[in-house]
Amino acid sequence: MPTALITGITGQDGSYLTELLLGRGYEVHGVVRRTSSLERSRLSGLYQDEAIYGKRLFLHYADLDDPTTLRRVLLKVAPDEVYHLAGQSHVGLSFEIPESTCELTAMGTLRLLEMIRDMDSPARFYHASSSEVFGRPAGAPQNEETPFAPVTPYGCAKAFATRMTAIYRESFELFAVNGIMFNHESPRRGENFVTRKICRAAAEIKAGRRHELTLGDLSAQRDWGYAPDYVKGMWLALQHDSPEDFVFATGGLHSVQDVVEAAFEAMDLEWEKCVRRDSRFIRPAEPTALVGDASKAKHLLGWAPEKPFEAFIAEMTEAEFAALQTG
Amino acid sequence: MSKKALITGITGQDGSYLAELLLEKGYEVHGIIRRASTFNTGRLDTIYQDPHTDDRQLHLHYGDLADASALARLIGRIGPNEIYNLAAQSHVRVSFDSAEYTTDITATGAVRLLEAIRETGVEARYYQASSSEMYGKVQEIPQKESTPFYPRSPYGCAKVYAYWITTNYRESYGLHASNGILFNHESPRRGETFVTRKITRALARIKAGLQDKIFLGNLDAKRDWGFAKEYVEAMWLMLQQEEPDDYVIATGETHSVREFLQVAFEHVGLNHEDHVAFDERYLRPAEVELLVGDCSKAKQKLGWEPKTKFEDLVKLMVDADMKELQDQMAGVVKPDLRD
Repeated sequence: MPTALITGITGQDGSYLTELLLGRGYEVHGVVRRTSSLERSRLSGLYQDEAIYGKRLFLHYADLDDPTTLRRVLLKVAPDEVYHLAGQSHVGLSFEIPESTCELTAMGTLRLLEMIRDMDSPARFYHASSSEVFGRPAGAPQNEETPFAPVTPYGCAKAFATRMTAIYRESFELFAVNGIMFNHESPRRGENFVTRKICRAAAEIKAGRRHELTLGDLSAQRDWGYAPDYVKGMWLALQHDSPEDFVFATGGLHSVQDVVEAAFEAMDLEWEKCVRRDSRFIRPAEPTALVGDASKAKHLLGWAPEKPFEAFIAEMTEAEFAALQTG
Repeated sequence: MSKKALITGITGQDGSYLAELLLEKGYEVHGIIRRASTFNTGRLDTIYQDPHTDDRQLHLHYGDLADASALARLIGRIGPNEIYNLAAQSHVRVSFDSAEYTTDITATGAVRLLEAIRETGVEARYYQASSSEMYGKVQEIPQKESTPFYPRSPYGCAKVYAYWITTNYRESYGLHASNGILFNHESPRRGETFVTRKITRALARIKAGLQDKIFLGNLDAKRDWGFAKEYVEAMWLMLQQEEPDDYVIATGETHSVREFLQVAFEHVGLNHEDHVAFDERYLRPAEVELLVGDCSKAKQKLGWEPKTKFEDLVKLMVDADMKELQDQMAGVVKPDLRD
């Protein structure tokens, strides 16, 4: 049975990846941080399943800024594959807490690479890189050759981690790959991300719990995909013959306005009556025209995004609405 | 009132030259030094002032780029007009052995310093010592400010992070923050483990009959080597501009380690082929390619250009190491005033 270790297992991608790997017969180990609140809602189904938890799914307390513990977990688990998804992943927040963003996202990745380098038989390593490394790109769409030009503390840290992963592949012959992922959403998206905020607000308005939604720049555009499609790309990247970097993206652009329209449409609401603008939510340095070209992943891995934009925004909004009914 | 400057890395090659330059220009100079049980201020000997003298212009403070609180406290207390961030784990080969420490100081250290400036609200101009190692696997020749980075070492990667976070703080918070992308720059004060200094020091000992061989790695590695004393002037010029910006500082010429050896050994009448041996320990896991800088922007906007030629640089380094060894053998003791 192949063994995988996931950092960031309690996050959106980590939880979908866990399901995918369990479905493919893996033993899955996750690294979790100790907190006094149990932040594992995304794993709760698996955690409470006695046939799974403690038999094929294991959680270990450790932290990216605790190298001793991390190293011990890595040596004990001796995984075949490491999926490194943990990071301070909120771009806007990285302006508030730049040092810890650097510490976890940049330094944390480097620490893992150092530990894998020291393994007797080094695990294959997947690094969750991000389209934020392109920042303000010279051209569109962006592919694996596009130079990095990050414009946020988050993007700087991710660019560091991405290059460092490539350096360990080139210098120490590790099977280390970067998946440069463009935005990917789902009902499990973090609650302070814009898509999730919009979907929740539409559901709350529908349920009569609130009357309006306030947003920053409605014209901001992103290449938004569906998270379960993207974690499949992670797995495929580690099954490839040689370690390579891949861009994962839909190649299409949608605006915040499109998210609003799709979400309110799913709830049969007229968005014009419910949405207000507020400049406080606009980021200090907003990246522009981020749209990915995933032809390398398509060509070499046979990967393609499956669920269309309107469909997953509707799924997200309906999930919020269902949660309001049961909660 | 004289301007105040704060220098991290003041005990290093560039820091010591910069401190001298700023003192000449009438600055009050503050430096951050790390506590060590051995003296680490040798390069500051000529400008060192006893803490008990009046009207001191050079002040050294204990601190570390790993210590965010100390940085904020020092910046708040000193209130500098200019901050020069020269401190780093600056050795490329060592960065492969000690990647995490290199990152902590070279990358995270820069963001700690920028955060300290932002937090304390001090109106300081900021200089970030960026490096040609950021170009690594070079995307064009020669390299200029617009050339994309492609670092090939943990050191290069950490420097790219520091470069971008500096640019980011300039754009997001309006800091007067500039990057000087300096190509290799050498001097008699270059760290002893860097190849140029390693050669000139060994050569002095070979000439004196104290050793026979020097062990080196890749002799074909090519670099754009300038004279450090001239490069620190460019740092100062960048912070005198109305607008912050990024500048390449280089000679535009490239020479191999082999050429360095030839000029150095011929200068004292020896043939390097008789004394050089190969040691693979000095090879980098990944070598950078042809690094050669185009400093036309600095020339045009700062009026800066390199003066000392490669051959003269090699010779002045050889002469300095010959003199140092002679002094040492003659028992000349440097005065040590520190407590």
